Amino acid sequence: MIVSGIKTLIDYADLLYTMTMLRLSVRYKQSLLGWFWAVLQPLALMISYTAIFSRVAKLSSEGIPYPLFVLTALLPWVFFSSAISGATIGIVHYGNLVMKVYFPREILPLSYIAASLFDFCIASLMLALLMLYYRVALTWNALYALPIFGILIVFTSAVSLIVSAAQVRMRDVSMAMPLVLQVLLFATPVVYPLQSVPSNIRRIYLMNPVAVLIDSFRRVLLHGDSPNGALLAIASAITILTTVLAYISFKTLEATMADFI
Amino acid sequence: MFDLKFQNVSKRYFFTGGSGPWHLPWHSLRSRQKSEIWALRNVSFEVEEGEAVGIVGHNGAGKSTILKLLSSITAPTLGEVSIRGRLSALVEVGSGFHPELTGRENIYLNGSILGMRRSEIASKVESIIEFAGVQDHIDIAMKKYSSGMYLRLGFSIAAHLDPDILLLDEVLAVGDAAFQGKCLNRISELRAAGRTIVLITHDLAALVRLCDRAMLLDSGKLIMTGPPRKIIDEYLAMGFAGVESLTTTDPASEKLAECRGVSFIPGHSGESIQTGYPMTARLTYFASRRLANVGFKISLYWPSGYLCSELATSAASGINLSPGLGMVEFYCPVLPFQPGWYRVDVALESNEYVIDKRQCCATLRVDPGKVVLGDFYFEHTWQVIEK
Repeated sequence: MIVSGIKTLIDYADLLYTMTMLRLSVRYKQSLLGWFWAVLQPLALMISYTAIFSRVAKLSSEGIPYPLFVLTALLPWVFFSSAISGATIGIVHYGNLVMKVYFPREILPLSYIAASLFDFCIASLMLALLMLYYRVALTWNALYALPIFGILIVFTSAVSLIVSAAQVRMRDVSMAMPLVLQVLLFATPVVYPLQSVPSNIRRIYLMNPVAVLIDSFRRVLLHGDSPNGALLAIASAITILTTVLAYISFKTLEATMADFI
Repeated sequence: MFDLKFQNVSKRYFFTGGSGPWHLPWHSLRSRQKSEIWALRNVSFEVEEGEAVGIVGHNGAGKSTILKLLSSITAPTLGEVSIRGRLSALVEVGSGFHPELTGRENIYLNGSILGMRRSEIASKVESIIEFAGVQDHIDIAMKKYSSGMYLRLGFSIAAHLDPDILLLDEVLAVGDAAFQGKCLNRISELRAAGRTIVLITHDLAALVRLCDRAMLLDSGKLIMTGPPRKIIDEYLAMGFAGVESLTTTDPASEKLAECRGVSFIPGHSGESIQTGYPMTARLTYFASRRLANVGFKISLYWPSGYLCSELATSAASGINLSPGLGMVEFYCPVLPFQPGWYRVDVALESNEYVIDKRQCCATLRVDPGKVVLGDFYFEHTWQVIEK
């Protein structure tokens, strides 16, 4: 099932590209600020989080200027959360198509991932500027950011397959999603450093691959440290397991998805 | 060698309807198994490579479900569906167009949805635009298109697919007569090139022209397969089954009267109805009470949907009906219609409202009789007068 499924997906690779371009071009058509929106969301979050968590709550930021500290984690977080909330409604949103034409259904959630990835790349330019401004000394360890982010893309894709397929059967998923993402944001070291997490719950806390990946992403870029290999290995293992399970359950549900739209 | 194969296929759908504002979560868990419908029951058939097969049946007979199963849009509840080769399905022309994108962008979008690669689309894009006849509008957003342009572009993209197997569901009724001709030609081309075709249509003339074989479906069961003409006759003999009754009288009140059937009888020695010969049309009705001043009407339509002509009782002199079964006969001394298939609507009216109306409830088949050059048979006699 997995092999034939992936073969079909490769046959339809052009559709994934076209759907992603559709997502990007339609989103910004008739909008005044256009591409700038990809930067605006993390920028606005950075400013408000800096105001709240640095000025009011006075959270520690491991000696790094708070705006830079929070933005470095916000970029992968916004990628994850926008991709997931888009993918959740993806298949139902294209219900009309799903009922009339066959194509591998995973293309719909995956196109939201690809579009969020594109936004991430644009927003990264802003991060680069901010790093220049604060004169962050990059080390070779910064290159670890690429595989770390790669694992995050895979994990995000796996989660998007699960939630988009679940949404077809139970429309409650999209209702719950904003709440779930809000809770998950605070269970991830975005606005606070990993060190602030009490050691008695840290074991459970680190079972969340998003938390590990985002913390590692920030660590290699801003501190110039090498990532914690053991933690990354666990996160990768969880990611692979989730991906296989997500793909198999998605493909099982896919056959009759059109009946539930 | 078969291209498509159904083995004892059944398909069940569930209904989750009837949930008001006071619908509580546990209700949906309990009621889930309650309402179900079997769209197909134990259907088996094979379609050989290079064969063109038509499927006929009334609405709700399961025709579209077969196409959805063939195109993997959904999976069977029981049984097995096997497919060999690259398959393209045209279930609804133009599904997947995005109104904000231009025609050209939509060609890429729709083409990739139908399974074409971008390079393949790029090589065909000019030809697609030309076939659809939308050269002047190709670079403006499709929300500005007329519905005709929308459908023509949709069909044009589909016509440029190069599948081994082509599934068509009611896509022939697109655009004007000239465009329909183009569509039929394109399908004939694919057929001549040895492609396998499965066609669902109410255009019975196209069915006879395009298909080697037809299948008759009724209420999810495969009734019979055979030569198209034979299947169509069988289908027409099924009469009103499944044709919805339309009425403008109060639906809550009991039905005043209804049309029960319509048949066409050749009025000469021949076995079939032929151009230039007499014909009798017989409409049977049932009245539940005494009715004054009613009128009967049989409307005949071209396959394109345009009204061809009508048989009607005179509006000025209404008929008074007694309760019970009855029959109205229309006698045509000379049938002027060209050979072909005509869609039939029947109606029973009284003063200003419709008591009963059945659309597409039957088909009139006219066989070649006297030779027609032009649009219709012109009854005439002639003599030579020498001075």
